[in-house]
Amino acid sequence: MPAECAIEVKDLSFGYSDVLLMDRVSFCVNRGDFAAVIGSNGTGKSTLIKLLLGLLTPANGEIFLMGEALSSFHRFSKIGYVPQNSGSLAGTFPATAEEIVLSSLYSQIGFLKIPGRHHKKIVLDALERVGMRPHAHSLISELSGGQQQRVMLARVLVNDPEILLLDEPTVGIDVGAVTSLMEILHRLNIDRKVTILMVTHDLSHVAQYLNRVLCLSDRNFAEDAVPQELIVHAHAASHELPHGHIHCAACEEPHDAEQCAVCTHAHESGGKS
Amino acid sequence: MTFDILQYGFMQRAFLVGILLAVIIPCIGVIVVFKRLSLIGDALSHTSLAGVAIGLILGINPIVGAMAACIFAAFGIEAIRKKIPRYSELSIAIVLSVGIGLAGVLSGFVKNAATFNSFLFGSIVAISDFETGLVVGISVLVLLSFILLYKELFYIAFDEQAAALSGVPVRLVNTIFTILTAITVSVASRTVGALIVSSLMVVPVATAMVMARSYKQTVIWSVVCAVTATLIGLFISYYAQLKPGGTIVLTAVALFLLALLVKWLRQLLRAARMKGAENEST
Repeated sequence: MPAECAIEVKDLSFGYSDVLLMDRVSFCVNRGDFAAVIGSNGTGKSTLIKLLLGLLTPANGEIFLMGEALSSFHRFSKIGYVPQNSGSLAGTFPATAEEIVLSSLYSQIGFLKIPGRHHKKIVLDALERVGMRPHAHSLISELSGGQQQRVMLARVLVNDPEILLLDEPTVGIDVGAVTSLMEILHRLNIDRKVTILMVTHDLSHVAQYLNRVLCLSDRNFAEDAVPQELIVHAHAASHELPHGHIHCAACEEPHDAEQCAVCTHAHESGGKS
Repeated sequence: MTFDILQYGFMQRAFLVGILLAVIIPCIGVIVVFKRLSLIGDALSHTSLAGVAIGLILGINPIVGAMAACIFAAFGIEAIRKKIPRYSELSIAIVLSVGIGLAGVLSGFVKNAATFNSFLFGSIVAISDFETGLVVGISVLVLLSFILLYKELFYIAFDEQAAALSGVPVRLVNTIFTILTAITVSVASRTVGALIVSSLMVVPVATAMVMARSYKQTVIWSVVCAVTATLIGLFISYYAQLKPGGTIVLTAVALFLLALLVKWLRQLLRAARMKGAENEST
């Protein structure tokens, strides 16, 4: 049912110059899903996120966000996007966590208007939700990689997003920080029903939180293999799978993250696990 | 006795113009530095020289020529930057080369070399009433625009892509900022000098970044450092009979070195205190 898809992609193709990176990709991420996109380097994982945001134009195909065609979609403030390495890039900017998060409230403040106390409260609440309230006035450059990434998450939370798109959010941060970040995302997914689509290489640490995994092969984006009726009933879907297990498009059955690494390797070599 | 410097009308004008420019140049500089375009001032000021030459050759006001050339160059930088976003600093180098080349060639056709040379190092103590009025008008315009666009400029400098997705009119704000940068550089070229304006755009910001604990503080400290450097520079240049533009910039650099020294001493002091506390606890 298209109406249930938070993100729906139909026959999406994209390439640079004459090289086709994606060929007729089709999938649906349901509302309330916590999904991951995996695949080897250069298979278009980050490109997919940029296509979903309209930052790149596909050669063919259609994209629907919350049931609305991307071409007429305007509610981008409800789509939270955390780009790759955003934390470390922000780390070179001489601004406090509060200033950085406040900038993202633009759609609520408006052009040429000055933020009020109400806006600052929203910012502090968002920082509280990611456990960074005590560091609101710290320079972002003085925070650890994991803390910077949580501030980047708070940036998108101020707009109360319905969909979160994260590009490699766990890269460059230690295991403890990964767990902490994933717990925050898990709570958003369960408590606030935020749909999450996350590009990751780090399945071993995040698999337990996911209810579906979309595997990218070299040229084809495999459709998610989870049966439709199962997805409909899997709103808090991390409970649908055994701890540490994932669904992989190329595999017949759910398996654990270690096996999926093998599966991804099989995709790269053109095989199927 | 000490302030006999202020008895002269030309020095009063120099202080007024110097302070106003010291307020607006770092405001532009903060955004320029954080957009990783620190050398844009160099490119624009050199292009402004080409505009000055065109103005002098055609018999129009050289500041108007400088302004037109700067605006043209600023949009050129933006256009090239978009074509090669991964090497955005190349856009500055290309426009800088065009500016130097044109200024070099056109200066050969200028009959009044003294007027042209006055734009190289500026002549803040020899500016006319018209130029003073121009600086006042442009300063008010730049300052008002900077205050009104404060959050938009911050957002674009921090993350242009996210700003666009949030609905910030990035193109409009960038266009306004480009024009403000161009007119600031062109009018500052006349007063502090084309070869010096870019230093005033960057050095106070660098000093502020050593001391500030937020973006807002960086803006405030940048302005404070630039105004301080201008005041001290004008005093020194008057009493030591030095060129004002160069003296102001060297003072700004001295403040930067002082800020680094203070920071280093504070770190040493903090480390010594921590070591003392550790020794006490053991």
